[in-house]
Amino acid sequence: MTTNGAAIAVESVSKRFAARGQPAGVVALENIDLSVEAKEFVALLGPSGCGKSTLLNIIAGFIPPTSGRVLHRGAPVVRPSRDRTVVFQDYALFPWMTLQQNVEFGLKAQGIPPLERATTARDQLARVDLAGFEDRYPHEISGGMKQRAAIARALVLNPSVLLMDEPFGALDAQTRVLLQEQVARLSGETGSTIVFVTHSIEEAIFLADRVVVMSPRPGRIRLELKVELPRPRLPEMRKDAWFVSTGHELWESLKSDWQETKEARS
Amino acid sequence: MARLRMFAGIGLFLAAWQLAASLEWVNPLLMPAPSRIVAALYDLARDGSLWTHVGASLQRVFGGFLLAAVCGVALGMLTGWVRWISDIVRPMIEALRPIPPIAWTPLAILWFGVGNAPSYFLVFIGAVFPIFISTYTAVRNIDRAQINAALCLGATPGLLVRDVLIPASLPIVLPGLRIGLGVGWMCVVAAELIAAQSGLGYMIQQNRLLLQTQNVLAGMLTIGLIGFLMSIALEWAERRWVGWAAAYRS
Repeated sequence: MTTNGAAIAVESVSKRFAARGQPAGVVALENIDLSVEAKEFVALLGPSGCGKSTLLNIIAGFIPPTSGRVLHRGAPVVRPSRDRTVVFQDYALFPWMTLQQNVEFGLKAQGIPPLERATTARDQLARVDLAGFEDRYPHEISGGMKQRAAIARALVLNPSVLLMDEPFGALDAQTRVLLQEQVARLSGETGSTIVFVTHSIEEAIFLADRVVVMSPRPGRIRLELKVELPRPRLPEMRKDAWFVSTGHELWESLKSDWQETKEARS
Repeated sequence: MARLRMFAGIGLFLAAWQLAASLEWVNPLLMPAPSRIVAALYDLARDGSLWTHVGASLQRVFGGFLLAAVCGVALGMLTGWVRWISDIVRPMIEALRPIPPIAWTPLAILWFGVGNAPSYFLVFIGAVFPIFISTYTAVRNIDRAQINAALCLGATPGLLVRDVLIPASLPIVLPGLRIGLGVGWMCVVAAELIAAQSGLGYMIQQNRLLLQTQNVLAGMLTIGLIGFLMSIALEWAERRWVGWAAAYRS
């Protein structure tokens, strides 16, 4: 179902991993079709093991699908591109570089001259409230600051697509809420298409225009939900009646999947 | 307090030794007093022979070490990256590695005669394994997410190697180089005992034949001191270049 004008089109993508003791392998994704419009914010929501991160890695071009294909503005994805940058759960900042050097990395790769990239990177760091921390190393700052720096590093290239892989999974609850609000604000400013992987129902509804719910074994798209909240998203919307009831309904319908995963794990 | 005890320990040891030698509880010809060793060291330094030997040994250790560093790092990287090379190379390395470098000495003399060449060879043999193994380990342990991050930020192959792969490997490769240099230094002395006409190993061997035991001990002291200084210098370089790594791991 190729949609013209889609920023990202995932076309019947399946992914099978080799696994010990299972000659057929494990099916991580089965027949995924997903179309993301330009500037749309899509959350991929699901319990661990549903293949949502695998799908993100395929969209990024880090791993190839077993069958099917992904189109980015109509062109097949075969390798990573700076027009599709990624924010990782464990930040993946370069620990031997200062925050400034981390953010400059992508600009340096493009051959932008030192003075220009220094200014651009500094502006981007200021935009995620890290002004004054340019010369710090990643190990000198908190997890929330690291993730903001990683977001700055990905956004400084003005990618048409930003892929976020459970970016707040490793953070404490308070920091998580603050960063959600920051991303809500940034997503309005950048004009990037965003695909955001999460296992938090609340996070998905708060941030996304559309929530795509996945279920595990094999990973499939189970349902999609349009979020009818206005933008910009504001903290008080979390108390909105629609927000609360939708979150509750989603939880009721997903409970069995979530519990299964938990039981399978324990 | 610990420092005080450390100096007290060394002082007590030297005093007992001095006393035992001057009262001739031990044969001073076989175990000269510390004061005589220091005097011998001073004499050797003054007539310049010490520096000639130190220079010869250092030249050999650095020559062999450089060769080992280039080969060990290159082979370690290839083996870490390319599966089929690893399948071929690693069993060979594991077969050769347990042979002590000194056991290669007769072969080294047979192949290269007496002179600088067998020393270079033995230093190479001693240093190349730790360097190879550390490089291989470093390459295998590079965080896949960091490579992916670099790739999606548009890194060219050159930038990926220079700004990501090399700095990511240094915290493991540098200690490997330090250990390699230490082993190389032991090997050069061993090689010079048998297969050279100069160097600190040769110097202590000659003085043994002349029964100049104080010079033998002065030579041993120099060997220990230089080994210690090399290790200190490289540890300093590690702290300076990969200081981030210790903090990053914790």
